[in-house]
Amino acid sequence: MKRKDRAKYLFVGPGILWVLVFTVFPLLYSLRLSFFRARLGMAQQFIGLENFGRAFTDYRFWSVLQVTVFFVVCDVTLTVLLGLGLALLFHRPLRGQRFFRSVFTMPIFTAPIALGYLGLTIFHEEVGAVNTVLRALGMVHLPAWFSNVWLARLAITLVDIWQWTPFCFLVLLAGLQSLPDEIYEAALLDTSSGWGTFRYITLPLLSPVLFTVTILRVVETFKILEIPFSLTSGGPGMATQTYSFYVYLTGLRNFNAGYASALAYLLLILMMAISLFFFRRLRRQYE
Amino acid sequence: MKKLRLIAILVAVGSLIAAQMLSAQMISGFPAANEQEAATALAAFNKADKGRPDPAWRGQKFTIGVYSAGQRGAISGPLYFWRNKFEELTGASYDIVEIPFAELREKIFTDLQTGAGRYDVIINCSNYYGDYIANDWILPIDKYFNDSRMPKWDRASIAAAVANLMKWGDRWYGTNNDHDAQVLYYRKDIIESPKWQAAFKKEKGHDMPVKMDTWEDVLEICDFFNGKDWNGDGKPDHGITLHLKVGGQGFFHFMALSAPYVVIPNPGDPVTKVTKYNNVYWFDPLTMDPLINSPGHVKALETLMKLSKTGSPAMWGWSLGEAWADFLSGKAVMTFSWGDVGSLAEDPTQSVIMGKLGARGIPGTKTPYDLQSKKFLNLSKPNMVGNQVGCSWHPVLSKYAKNPDLCYYFMAWQATPPINHWNVYMGWTGVDPGTTSDWFAPYGSATIQEYVDGGYIADDAKAFIGAFQDNFFNYKIFQNYLRIPGTPEMQEVWDVHLSEAITGQVSPKAALDRTYADWVRIVADYGKARMLKLYQESIGYKP
Repeated sequence: MKRKDRAKYLFVGPGILWVLVFTVFPLLYSLRLSFFRARLGMAQQFIGLENFGRAFTDYRFWSVLQVTVFFVVCDVTLTVLLGLGLALLFHRPLRGQRFFRSVFTMPIFTAPIALGYLGLTIFHEEVGAVNTVLRALGMVHLPAWFSNVWLARLAITLVDIWQWTPFCFLVLLAGLQSLPDEIYEAALLDTSSGWGTFRYITLPLLSPVLFTVTILRVVETFKILEIPFSLTSGGPGMATQTYSFYVYLTGLRNFNAGYASALAYLLLILMMAISLFFFRRLRRQYE
Repeated sequence: MKKLRLIAILVAVGSLIAAQMLSAQMISGFPAANEQEAATALAAFNKADKGRPDPAWRGQKFTIGVYSAGQRGAISGPLYFWRNKFEELTGASYDIVEIPFAELREKIFTDLQTGAGRYDVIINCSNYYGDYIANDWILPIDKYFNDSRMPKWDRASIAAAVANLMKWGDRWYGTNNDHDAQVLYYRKDIIESPKWQAAFKKEKGHDMPVKMDTWEDVLEICDFFNGKDWNGDGKPDHGITLHLKVGGQGFFHFMALSAPYVVIPNPGDPVTKVTKYNNVYWFDPLTMDPLINSPGHVKALETLMKLSKTGSPAMWGWSLGEAWADFLSGKAVMTFSWGDVGSLAEDPTQSVIMGKLGARGIPGTKTPYDLQSKKFLNLSKPNMVGNQVGCSWHPVLSKYAKNPDLCYYFMAWQATPPINHWNVYMGWTGVDPGTTSDWFAPYGSATIQEYVDGGYIADDAKAFIGAFQDNFFNYKIFQNYLRIPGTPEMQEVWDVHLSEAITGQVSPKAALDRTYADWVRIVADYGKARMLKLYQESIGYKP
């Protein structure tokens, strides 16, 4: 082997080793664990697909899946719509555009767990900012943000939207800015309707970016953990306990590594199915 | 050169100033808040038995794992406070590793499971014992009791229920420290006020049951006060305050409240004997079938739900701090919780109720459920059941401890009556009372002056200590403590289901039926036969 060849393997080696040790090995080991009863302090016992089967008879599995799907549908819809709206708003000459663009993107850099704790101070039922304002406006029966099932879910949705709308906004704005001006110039000859231009030109051309943003948000929201963890601890009851939260509790709090691994792989399968569906639709559109 | 010289001078001056500041914080070798604190600590230090430290320990170090509360925080604070004196005594020292409460079990169990041995001494929650014993993770300490090197501490002075938490069977594993229980705290000035008693009689048609012997009495009083402006601030105030948020230790409220509805004494002698039907709360001691959805438990949950409606609606989402603040800031007329409330009540930065504190042992009920006859009883006197709800944080020795003798010396020295009692009456330490050194005569040797020196108002101290003394020494029967493998997981699912019931998502029966099903599964996962044996050992049941 020439010295040059040896040198390049030396440079690439640590990176490969890192990926093998911290990504590939845990992935394979957790797959193995999912076929075992692996509880703290007990010898591991091979049980085949029992962990996977157990999930389907576990009422908590269905509950956390339902809660997660709720967040996926609401959060993704609202962040993409708001992000698109903001992108359209900023895709024109505006005063202070750069300043507002920077301010709007700030939440994306905040750690979700910190946002959750910030949410505690905003939505606190007695002294939180929201209820203080509502009280000042004369409201007598103030929202019980953490004691009511739907209000707790709304609080999490609002925090999550606040964090992720900037991401959608940035990506969609970049998408809009990449669209060719000539098409709009040609469209102006046929119509002056903004809605018509948006519906027949902007939306179809933007659809690959829209699809990408949506699928990224769907995948990310399916993994939502930090905000419900810090804001509501999954309560009241299991009203805001998400899938990832349940996997965390099962694996890292209750030390049931086998079942937690099975749950994690079920989520992976679900995510792959959803991604496959999305990319097939996208491909069909272009064909 | 000139520049270098200037930098050197600045560094030297800065170091001197820093050293001066540091030394100014040490009083008589303690990082004390004031002279009085240091003086009382020094007196305790001088009085405490010191054994004969082994010269071979000089220069050695060990590590203590404890939940994170800071240098003047509950449970971790005393470790910092006494460290210098420990170094003086032994020439050895220790590192303190603070672990956030939410990660405590993960970090400790991972350390023990992997054999990493990062922590030599663990200030642990008593419910970890099941996993410790099942996996042989901690060392028994009986062999040190007659070791002349080791300080002597008084095992007989500890409340029997708490002492049992430091043992497994006949072997000791832990040393004396904290003694957790929940007691009922109330605003003495409001409950005993003739004005409010007259108003109660007018509204309810009978005298206010000020003794509050039963939960039914508590419910009636809280219902009366809820929504009325009894503190004169012009706004409606609360009856009771509770911490019912998921993960906010709300299940401990239920544990303390429900005990008298389920635990009934043995009809024979002794009354404390554990049988299939008596002095049991968690599982059937013969079959390991969970008892958690018995009609007694269901009725208790219904009572807790009614109680939760006699305070702020927000309390369904409150953690400890918020619930305690509601009482300490004078917005709630009562609460039931740990000794922290009693000591925080005397902190002027957090409390407006100094001098107004009433306290009593946890109430009972006249209608407990009899597991044998499967009926609710109708008693002429309330069924009163003592509790040890909480963690009763105390040190244990990891089997991976590099110098177990030195570690035990520290544990025993902290457990000596003078030092432990000092930790108790200095409220900021988070160490709750539980030995005869903490009670007043004729039950113990403590004096009011000690508590006053610790910052208590004399009458508040009498009420607070009296309530704990009642709970630990005057109640004839006790709720067992659950310490089998998987206990934290059982408590986690229980906590979630209780919240579901309290917030109206499911009925109380359905919530406890779900808990039952989850506990059956957890027991099966760990092995029913193994769990049954450990459960019988942990509650002192002899088949």
